Amino acid sequence: MTELRLHRDLYSSTALDEAVAIYAPHGTLHRKDQPSHWVVEITAPSAERERRIAGALGNYALGLTVKGRRR
Amino acid sequence: MLISVREAEPALTTNLQEFPSDLLAVDLGASSVTLRVDPATYSLDALYGAAYIFIDRCFVLLDKPDASYRVTLAWKKREPTEDDLRGLVGEFTNELLSCAWRAKISQDSRALIESVTAQALGGALGPPTLDELEKFDFSDETFEDPLGIAMSWEDKHRKKAHPDDASPVDGDNVTEKKP
Repeated sequence: MTELRLHRDLYSSTALDEAVAIYAPHGTLHRKDQPSHWVVEITAPSAERERRIAGALGNYALGLTVKGRRR
Repeated sequence: MLISVREAEPALTTNLQEFPSDLLAVDLGASSVTLRVDPATYSLDALYGAAYIFIDRCFVLLDKPDASYRVTLAWKKREPTEDDLRGLVGEFTNELLSCAWRAKISQDSRALIESVTAQALGGALGPPTLDELEKFDFSDETFEDPLGIAMSWEDKHRKKAHPDDASPVDGDNVTEKKP
């Protein structure tokens, strides 16, 4: 299992929700939020696949967060 | 760590000589570099701008472990060489500086842009009504023109009349004298 931790001050919750919805078909994603971070637990058949999902999901959430600030 | 893996391999950490060791750490085992960014120098908008540019090339993760920001750039596919990581860090820091400068310019010129936009929108509303024209304040002083830019060519180059001249020269009444 891989745990992706995104800081609440830097990533918007709605952006992460959208990212999780997009990448849900590629692995088992479970949100377990903490006071300072949004946390996503990622489970996939291999560690490399988990790494790719975590990285891509983080990128997607970051992109949506940045776009949301520009509006 | 930003991403924690259950069976983590021991990190192979090194430093790039060109960069301060307290600001940059390179993890060759995870094919990633981690930078510490001072928020007093680089705004969050600048950080977002630089990070956004790199999300097509690598996995970008932002964190805020303390007062400073932490940026992790992880290679997407193949194993990077140390030169690759050095180049990546250099490009990112340059982009960060560029974004910070652009954000500063945007902030400084915000008032001017808003003023021009307001004037453009005001002009698009159509001509002023009679009531608005009646209320127009004409008491403002005219603008200063020390260089005479607003003066017409004729006014600017008009010949000054000499006190000896009895009458101005009139081209139609001049009689040519033949030798």
